[in-house]
Amino acid sequence: MADARETTGANGPSSRADTLTPAVVVEGVWKRFGQTDVVQDLSFEVRRGEVLGFLGPNGAGKTTTMRMILDIIRPDRGAITVFGGPPGIAHQSRVGYLPEERGLYRDVPILETLTYFGALRGLSTRDARDRATRLLTEVGLGEAMRKKAAELSRGMHQKAQVVATVLHEPDLLIVDEPFQGLDPVNAQMLRGVLLAQRDRGAAVVMSTHDMTDAQKLCDRILLIDRGRRLLYGRVPAIQRAFSDGAVEVRGAGISATGRYRCISEAAEVGGSVRFLLREGASPRELFRELADEGAAVERFEVSTPTLDEIFIRTVAGDRRAEEVR
Amino acid sequence: MSTGGRSFLHLIALVAKRDYVRTVRRRGFVLGTLMLPLGIGVFILLSTILPGAATGMGAEVPGGPPEAGELVLLVADESELGLEPQPELAPHVELVSREDGLARLGEGTAEELYVILPGYPDDPTVLRIGNPSSGFDVSALQRQAGQQQELAVWLQSTLLEDAAVPPEIARRVVSPYTLATETTAGEPGPAGPSLASFLVPFAFTMLFVMSIFITSGYLLQSVTEEKENRVVEIVLSSVPALPLMAGKILGLGAAGLTQVAFWVLSALVALALLGDGGGLAGVSIAPITVVLGLVYFALGYLGFGAIFSAVGALAPGSREAQQYAGFFGFFAVVPVIFSSVFVSDIASPIVVILALIPFTAPAAMLMVLTLSTEIPWGMVIVSIVSLAIFTALATVASARVFRATLLLYGVRPGVRAIVGAMFARS
Repeated sequence: MADARETTGANGPSSRADTLTPAVVVEGVWKRFGQTDVVQDLSFEVRRGEVLGFLGPNGAGKTTTMRMILDIIRPDRGAITVFGGPPGIAHQSRVGYLPEERGLYRDVPILETLTYFGALRGLSTRDARDRATRLLTEVGLGEAMRKKAAELSRGMHQKAQVVATVLHEPDLLIVDEPFQGLDPVNAQMLRGVLLAQRDRGAAVVMSTHDMTDAQKLCDRILLIDRGRRLLYGRVPAIQRAFSDGAVEVRGAGISATGRYRCISEAAEVGGSVRFLLREGASPRELFRELADEGAAVERFEVSTPTLDEIFIRTVAGDRRAEEVR
Repeated sequence: MSTGGRSFLHLIALVAKRDYVRTVRRRGFVLGTLMLPLGIGVFILLSTILPGAATGMGAEVPGGPPEAGELVLLVADESELGLEPQPELAPHVELVSREDGLARLGEGTAEELYVILPGYPDDPTVLRIGNPSSGFDVSALQRQAGQQQELAVWLQSTLLEDAAVPPEIARRVVSPYTLATETTAGEPGPAGPSLASFLVPFAFTMLFVMSIFITSGYLLQSVTEEKENRVVEIVLSSVPALPLMAGKILGLGAAGLTQVAFWVLSALVALALLGDGGGLAGVSIAPITVVLGLVYFALGYLGFGAIFSAVGALAPGSREAQQYAGFFGFFAVVPVIFSSVFVSDIASPIVVILALIPFTAPAAMLMVLTLSTEIPWGMVIVSIVSLAIFTALATVASARVFRATLLLYGVRPGVRAIVGAMFARS
């Protein structure tokens, strides 16, 4: 199991995100509520032009950390910088936030609500209104923009909330469980919005329980549990670190009982054979042996664990370690 | 994209403007604002079309004598006095026989018949005959009071005449004096206290007190609504808690003042329409009283507004919020409950205590200023200082509770948590 270190990609910091200065730096932050340390010595950074997946079980401290970045609450110890300075109203116009608990004013037309939110983020009233009108039209709410939120469907609500988050073209976008309650159409729309913001150069922090979305969208992930950092780094590197070196192969003439020099174990798995390589052996060696034996390989894949598996193994392992201690 | 240039003041102004506009556009606000002037207008209209009510002679007699709409006082004289009408003293008296009078009652062209019995004046009993009463009728009571007053004047005059008292003395006995007033400056008008000089300032006092609570209620509603709609966290990510609270207090305070200003304007227009100031000529409110009234209003609203916004933040929902707010609101109206004490003895210990307790001071001092002939400067200074200190502390404590509890959804924090939040710095 990978330990709690940052891992970088196999080819070093070659991606666009790695070369840009961080939008957020969190250093040694602690936060206590009552008798419980909900965030313990947490450190990470969020870079521009990347999506950082903020993962963790319920109650891990994700929302608390996000609120500290937004200056809604203050840490007890440690430091947070946003765009090089302390969090506060100086930067809040550059930040977009979609909280987990979110809503709209029910008896107010959504255009008016979004105009107000835009004005709070530093836009002039006219700019906010114009942008809200354009964006609402783009997401298909052109005819509904003058209706009150209470008159809209849940899906329309969700679209309006997403528009409110990106209305002012933030440089830092923080979204807490953004896909919760979204139908597939709106979930697809939101993925497109998040990636578009990243491609525009914004830093995106996204907390989610959906590892599929995390795997699709995130450049790096930060996994925390009980306020402590467990995993932090680029997704491929973490997957490789958790890989057990197995290879899954399917094809004619391939079986788990075959004798291959470079493997230590083999097992049939759903129509394929999963070979565990000996230490020091490479997948290429196995492929060569299979070819030498005349096997007709249909599929040859280095097995990497999904983020879901990594999440479960990491969090469960950490909790077992807590119990043992 | 950077859109800097935001300051606390700018954010406060944004929140204040938005809450003000949203509140004054609400249907409930518009209806509530119009209701009082409409009620006054209806009252004035009824006063002008029902003159009998003003003179105390009650309602018209339906289908009455040729002078339609003019009330008569039917009297059957069965005594030996030989009563004769005296139009100057008793213009409504109409002498009839008992039979005719009963017939008029049966026809419904009269409501009462007064019978001077044969034993009068040795036996002072006068019999009033009327149709069976069907319930409580204020107009009938007013009419009968006027009838009896006129009957008394008529009988007094007749008895004095029989006793050969000179007519001018008889008239003076019946109507001893007519009151005229003049001030020491030689100008006509009330000299000393009058009912009007109490009622008008008292009415403004009650308006201010009402406004404190109406406005604080809007504040409570605004905070609980943003919490229930789950909008508050988005707003908090843009506006820190203290400017948010300040903006709401200012914006909704302005909405409350707008409502009060409309009521005051309506009242002034109504008084002007009544003519001669509606009988309030000479009533004045000293400028210093107005200034002090505004000071108490401002401090009272700020203190209660801060408390109500904290209540809205920590309450799990609007229903609980209103219950908690009602607890604080009760203290504020205690002076009104003791208003009789204020009227009878402005220097009583109860008045002093109520004027010094911060929760009760705004209403109490507004009443003291209204009822005192001279401004009690000692009491004013002490109460303003204590109220200002209380308001400052309440605002700080409420702001901390507001910040700590605004994001607690569906959770009712315990007393320890609330007290802890009041003393927490972050």
